[in-house]
Amino acid sequence: MTFLELVKHARSENRTLLTEIESKNALTEAGIEATQTILVTSAEDAVMQAETIGYPVVLKIVAFEITHKSDVGGVILNIKNSAAVQDAYRNIINTVENKHPGISIQGVSVQKMIATGTEVIIGMTTDEQFGPVIMFGLGGILVEVLNDVSFRLAPLEQKDAVEMVNEIKARPILNGIRGQTPCDLDALYKMLLSVSTFVTKYSEIKEIDLNPVIATSSGAIAVDGRIILNDEINERTNS
Amino acid sequence: MSVPGHKLERMFNPKTTVVIGDKGPNYMWLKNNQPFQEKGGNLYSVQIDESEIKGIEELGFKNYTSLADIPEPIDYAIVAVPRHISPYVLNDLIDAKAASAAFFTSGFAETNEELGIALQKQLTEAAKTANFNVIGPNCMGLYLPKAGIRFSPDVPIADDGVVSFLSQSGTHGIMFSLVMASQGMHLSKCVSFGNAIVLDISDYLEYLIEDPETKIIGLYVEGVKDGARFVRTLKEACRHKPVVVWKGGQTEAGALATKSHTASLASPEPIWEGIMKQCGAISTTSLDETVDVVKLLLNSKPTMGRNLGLMAMTGGQSVSITDAFCKVGFDVPALSEQSYEELGSFFNIVGGSYRNPLDMAGTLQGNTETLKRILTILDADPKIDALIMEQSAMFGARQWRNKPEVLDAMLDTLVEHRNNSQKPFFIVMHPAHEEAFVVEIRQKFAKQKIAVFPNFERAATAAKLALPYCLAI
Repeated sequence: MTFLELVKHARSENRTLLTEIESKNALTEAGIEATQTILVTSAEDAVMQAETIGYPVVLKIVAFEITHKSDVGGVILNIKNSAAVQDAYRNIINTVENKHPGISIQGVSVQKMIATGTEVIIGMTTDEQFGPVIMFGLGGILVEVLNDVSFRLAPLEQKDAVEMVNEIKARPILNGIRGQTPCDLDALYKMLLSVSTFVTKYSEIKEIDLNPVIATSSGAIAVDGRIILNDEINERTNS
Repeated sequence: MSVPGHKLERMFNPKTTVVIGDKGPNYMWLKNNQPFQEKGGNLYSVQIDESEIKGIEELGFKNYTSLADIPEPIDYAIVAVPRHISPYVLNDLIDAKAASAAFFTSGFAETNEELGIALQKQLTEAAKTANFNVIGPNCMGLYLPKAGIRFSPDVPIADDGVVSFLSQSGTHGIMFSLVMASQGMHLSKCVSFGNAIVLDISDYLEYLIEDPETKIIGLYVEGVKDGARFVRTLKEACRHKPVVVWKGGQTEAGALATKSHTASLASPEPIWEGIMKQCGAISTTSLDETVDVVKLLLNSKPTMGRNLGLMAMTGGQSVSITDAFCKVGFDVPALSEQSYEELGSFFNIVGGSYRNPLDMAGTLQGNTETLKRILTILDADPKIDALIMEQSAMFGARQWRNKPEVLDAMLDTLVEHRNNSQKPFFIVMHPAHEEAFVVEIRQKFAKQKIAVFPNFERAATAAKLALPYCLAI
């Protein structure tokens, strides 16, 4: 489905939140690198997809009503073989069903585990006065507490993307500390600019949350992502 | 000088001003604007209340009972009538083909009550239909120091202002004008624009971009109506002149206060900061910070460099000045070998130091030739981008009071240095126990366009924000 088809589909189901799989399809269409993520509905299916993708993999719950998947035990990382995939599948379904009896579960997603790199956040939100705003910050709990993020209005210019990445307080971490290789900053600039182009093109988008994006020495890839749509009546008027 | 053809041209350069509905016993608006008359402008009163007319005429103002009787085209009207009368006055102004009006009258949407909201709507619709320039309502209107138009009896009349200020708050507009004057700086134009039902911040900003008299633009903003237009206009303004933007409502509680003050939506602080950087504006957080930044913009040469030569009088101050400037991101590097050689040839290192920062009172001994020598060496040092000197009222005030010629000689030396140097140079002088005397000294220095800051922290913040954009050349 193209992004506009996804929007139509979500609206037909009265949803403004796109699932991780839908979001990542849209991101890929927009030229934003994201891990390929496949929906499965059985443990056997999960193993088959994991074998195709290659280990290690990540399994995550897919349910419209759940926005914070790890909070409900819906995410298992770094799964290394087929037996572990089968266990993980059952484990996720059981845990989520126990915590939310009667919830509608679409299935489980399978994706490649991106092992090493620095976690960053790239996002977009709609400011009431100014419209679409792009955000950049480092991932992880500490940064959330310290509120160490930078913002710019969309559409971004190259210099804006460069400033956003370089003005956060935790910027030295991107140089690689304790023997880590430096992050590919150009890949981060490019991703910020692609998000900017995407939200400027589609006024249907209210929020984007790419959290985390894994930055390595040779690129950046969103390993989780969600897109929230505007109510149909509240679409931004892009000028 | 002006912006021919601009819709706000007559408003900012009035020949005829009328005050509508001024009241005794003070007749504040007529009295505020008496200088306009003294400078040859036509200042008229419009009042129909017989008891008020008497007081107005006793003060020597010409009163009319109808706007239609005013003999000249009205460029600017100050409206101070009760709120329910204001729609009628607006209609008369439109009929009289007046160019603009500021509505001091309040009690509109800011009250958040039905009648106020309805009256504001009525006023807005009538003005927009007629394409009439309304400032406010709920505002102090214009301060044009050169024309003699004033929103307060205390703000000075002056011809030499190059700073223009747009304020969503009347108080901040007046305070900025007064504090600037106390620091020896004058405004070109100031607008307190209140509820901004017709003319909004972007309209005024567009004029100031083109106004040749305005070299620096200051804004006090709580929130804007048309965010996209504001960003576009601000970005354009920053391409032409330095723009300093003081944001009100930086905290969550402060943002809540802006809602009841000007019914403004405030964006989260980090988003605002990001947008200011994107536009190329200088973002400030208080009145003093805004004035400090403007002072440096006006009186210093620019630099993108971060390497400072710091000249303190004593050891303790040499440490404190270094801490203050390094905390905001400046560096205080070692000087060149040549500088060290030259300084070492005469510097008194017993109780002093010529490393950077310099601890130099023991070497100077009040000798201006030595001061000149040190300034010249630092000025020539390629490792230094800007020079900042501490002056001590604690040590100096008694002598300066007894022998004013000592202070004058020092000032002459500093002015000579400034004239011959391409590097930024300014002074930090803590008032210590001599608050009133240091105000005099600061004004004396301001006349020579040497900026003096009251402490290291304020100087450092101003330098960090303003140095890349400074105008003095």
